[in-house]
Amino acid sequence: MPYLCPKLQIMKLENTIAQMKKGVLEMCILSILRQEGEAYPSDIIQRLKEADLIVVEGTLYPLLTRLKNYGLLDYHWKESSSGPPRKYFRITDQGMESLNTLTESWNQFVQGVNQSIKNQ
Amino acid sequence: MNKILHINVGGYPFSIDDTAFEKLDHYLISLKKHFERSEGCDEIMQDIETRIAEIFQERLAGRGIVSLSLVEQAINIMGSPEAFGAEWSAESSGGEKEHTTTSDWGIKTGKRLFRDPQDAKIAGVCAGVAHYFGIQEVVWVRLAFALGIFAGGFTIPLYIILWAATREASSPSDRLAMKGEPINVQNIARKVEEEIDKITDNFESWREERQNRKKKWRG
Repeated sequence: MPYLCPKLQIMKLENTIAQMKKGVLEMCILSILRQEGEAYPSDIIQRLKEADLIVVEGTLYPLLTRLKNYGLLDYHWKESSSGPPRKYFRITDQGMESLNTLTESWNQFVQGVNQSIKNQ
Repeated sequence: MNKILHINVGGYPFSIDDTAFEKLDHYLISLKKHFERSEGCDEIMQDIETRIAEIFQERLAGRGIVSLSLVEQAINIMGSPEAFGAEWSAESSGGEKEHTTTSDWGIKTGKRLFRDPQDAKIAGVCAGVAHYFGIQEVVWVRLAFALGIFAGGFTIPLYIILWAATREASSPSDRLAMKGEPINVQNIARKVEEEIDKITDNFESWREERQNRKKKWRG
């Protein structure tokens, strides 16, 4: 294997791990919204932080916007006592369907990955 | 002693320290640059601004003036573009960092100037220039060159120089570099497929033509 400076190797690994997380974020957001009924981005962030999937809030907003544009989520405004009105997000029927498909593939994926890791 | 500014964040008025304002302004500009090419950039920015306004209101608790440390707290919560760079870089191109190809003045530095033989009137210089600057319709570039002929004729030597200095985009990776798409396996595969489609199309039409001609002879 060619020589790579340790820092570069770490960066590459970090990137790989980030990619892995990113792949499942959308599924997790949908799933959180299914459990919660409706949620404010900060609530979603809290859950994702607990799961060690996301660190900063800035990452979430683009994802929510994208999921909303695909019709998997929608939102409504709610007055807040402490500040500006808040966007509360909800999962749509289409979102539910997508989530089912995603979860199914995820389970297959995990099984396959675990198997291939074990066999090594 | 600090100067105080009045600003509007996400539709809410705040008084803010001069230094704090500068920090916040820088931050929002860097975010905007980061999301420039994501879909729904305006909406994302609006959401983030609203959230920042909320953080300010929560933590000000009637104290009145947004300080530098409060801005720093808000930035910590939202994250700087560098902080979510890795989390976010896979947005649309399967892992390639797209935004790194955009230089400060918006021209993609990943691009190279080629001549485009597929869209050529003379040598494809104008088409290549159009690709380079991201102009959708080559017509405008051609028009500019044509107008230049009447306005002193400087575009004729310019055309010849560009003709001599650039080469034709002959391979799929050349064409990607010409159009500024990141050169990765998927994109090259897509270009090759397009190319094959075109060849098949050409072949089909050639065959049809031949059959038609045969029919004509027979008839």
